[in-house]
Amino acid sequence: MNRLHPLSAVTYGLQYGFLWLSLAMVLTIVLGGIFDPIGSAWFIATAPLGFVLGVAYGVAYYYRFEYGITPDTFDVSSGVFARRSREIPYERIQNVDLRQGIFQRLFGLAIVSIETAGGGTTEASLNFVSETEANRLQGQIRQRTADVKERRRQRDQRARHDQRDQQAAAEERPDEGDTPSSDPEPTDSLDVPGADSDDESAAPQPGVPDPSPTAPSDEPGSTAPAPDSDPTATADRRERSPEPMGPRQRRLFDLEPRELLLYSFTSFRPAAVAGVLFVFFFATGPIIDLLVTIAQPFGGPADIGEGTSTSYGILTVVSAINGVVITYVLSVAYTFATYYGFQLGRAGSDFVYERGLIQRYSGSIPAEKVQSVTVTANPLQRLIGYAGLWVETAGYGPESNGGSQSAVPLANQGRIHRFTENLTGVETPKFTSPPTMARRRYLARYSIIATVVVAIFFGLAQLTAFESWYLSIVVFAAVPPAAHLKYVNLGYYVGEDHLVIRRGFWTRRTTVIPYYRIQTVNTRRSIFQRRLGLASLVVDTASSQTMVWTTPTIYDVDLEDARDVHTTGRKRLQSALRERARDDDLGIEVDFTDPNSSGGPAPQ
Amino acid sequence: MEALHSRIRLLWIAQAAIMAIIVGVVLAAVDQWITDVPTAIIAGVVVVGLVLGVAYSIRLYQVWQFEIQSDALYLERGVITFVETAVPFVRVQHVDTQFGPIERALGLSSVVVYTAGTRNADVRIPGLTPDRARELQDTLRELAVESEADDAV
Repeated sequence: MNRLHPLSAVTYGLQYGFLWLSLAMVLTIVLGGIFDPIGSAWFIATAPLGFVLGVAYGVAYYYRFEYGITPDTFDVSSGVFARRSREIPYERIQNVDLRQGIFQRLFGLAIVSIETAGGGTTEASLNFVSETEANRLQGQIRQRTADVKERRRQRDQRARHDQRDQQAAAEERPDEGDTPSSDPEPTDSLDVPGADSDDESAAPQPGVPDPSPTAPSDEPGSTAPAPDSDPTATADRRERSPEPMGPRQRRLFDLEPRELLLYSFTSFRPAAVAGVLFVFFFATGPIIDLLVTIAQPFGGPADIGEGTSTSYGILTVVSAINGVVITYVLSVAYTFATYYGFQLGRAGSDFVYERGLIQRYSGSIPAEKVQSVTVTANPLQRLIGYAGLWVETAGYGPESNGGSQSAVPLANQGRIHRFTENLTGVETPKFTSPPTMARRRYLARYSIIATVVVAIFFGLAQLTAFESWYLSIVVFAAVPPAAHLKYVNLGYYVGEDHLVIRRGFWTRRTTVIPYYRIQTVNTRRSIFQRRLGLASLVVDTASSQTMVWTTPTIYDVDLEDARDVHTTGRKRLQSALRERARDDDLGIEVDFTDPNSSGGPAPQ
Repeated sequence: MEALHSRIRLLWIAQAAIMAIIVGVVLAAVDQWITDVPTAIIAGVVVVGLVLGVAYSIRLYQVWQFEIQSDALYLERGVITFVETAVPFVRVQHVDTQFGPIERALGLSSVVVYTAGTRNADVRIPGLTPDRARELQDTLRELAVESEADDAV
């Protein structure tokens, strides 16, 4: 195991010294304020003590931080009081970054960051090592990753050969263009990974193609922090091609003006609410005057200071309508400007999109990074028979954003369904509904919420002049329809190669998850669900964004069904992975808008 | 199925006690600066917090189980919401052993398994003896290295 550069002991010492100094000061002052026996003035003594202890801690941290390269994994152990020892298999490493600030450059040092897929944080950060050591590490990791891949490739090939030999003894040689290394002896050739067409070529290991450990030329991090060595490996929004839809690219979908208008008018953006509120806070006076003026013809008060309760009521209603209308108009304009001229195309096996009226956005979505596909539709869109198609991708590192990207903002439902089926290869789902017990659960849940609402109004009536709190009992009328609507929109389908999950009334999302994209499966039962014999199944896929949409969940099905799907998902993940390894299949049909979806020339 | 080491209850109880004490200090601060809070109420809140913490810890220990199955690490846990999780070995990104100061004092250690997922992306198995944790980490690492994960996540 190796230690960091000795200079990092100094920086850690100072860092923790000042941290603990301020911590000791704040703690002494706060505790001195609360408890009489402690004097706030003690900080004169505690702060230097904190500093000394902090320095000691920082130095101890340096001595307790170790990293090392083993045949299979990169290991890091750290921590003084709390210890952590981490083992990262080489094959899971996505990125090795070197970073140098001014200080590091001055002293010939570098910060090495090692990233794996998922999770927003850096998995191992060596802060810091000498430049030569950093380059050695990068080269070593690259080489060992290549070794592991090579071992695997040969093992697979051997397995394939054995299979073929058994299958057809008459055939002497496999017909594929196998490399000479098809003999069972493992060779130490390092040149193979570069021509690594066996695996998916958008290698998650950016450094692999260059086996030389002392060639930092094309490395992302020698000076710049951006891990942009391999643009195809990330689903980022960086501009990839300056010209709109270059010659290599093929158009897959254009958002027609009609669809753009429908999309603008039928979708609502919460950002519009934020925008309106923002403007209101900055120009409260003029806006209130304006609202009063607008409400006047309808019987509102002549001035905000003078008016009867009726005229105030009218003012409130008219202003509320104004607010809603303005927010809606803003939302329509925002959507229009954002999705104006939306185009989706393909370049190789990447989806490329661009959109925007005032500012043009473009980005690419590598097909092999697509984790799941979601069809969304809100009540309005469902009414007119339209829906949108989104793809979820996984990203890693600070520069690449995973998350949801719109592949087709809005199109006729029939087309969207055809797109989805072409894109993922899923069969038309026959949805299963949760048991009716689930609806009873929502009835109970919404009744509780309604009760809380009434209680709040009752409380308000006690505290303010507002008296007719009992009118709020009307909310109970919304409970049965709400429960029913939530229930009827739930559904799931266990397909041959995909799991399809539908949920949500306001935004109904139908997510198609290929089994081979499953990360973990969780069966969850709250105390309420246990009483009713229900369970929810959470099917997790890879993504670095957690806040956008909730994880696909099959809500409130019978425990037995949930366990069945749980087992099925796990089994099919394994078989699908085996199949994919054999067929080298991308799993995503890039030409999904093509009517025959078999890759013929696109009809323009 | 394997249960956790029984000393884990002490760790959870200690954590609950620390939480109860912090709540007590906050209440004392409220009493000092904002409004009078009777000492009896502060003491009551702390004691109730402690009792609930103890009950929760004991129950949690009773339900916590895990197992290494043929294709995945399987865990069951949870008092309020009972969760059964399967983490396929192919999805294991890396494995940690960790222990904090209290765990160290109790001679315990945790294994944390990371996946690239969004929810439950890191799965923690607490309450293992250091030897068992080490052994589990080795096993999981081997299984993770063995399994193929060529599909770019």
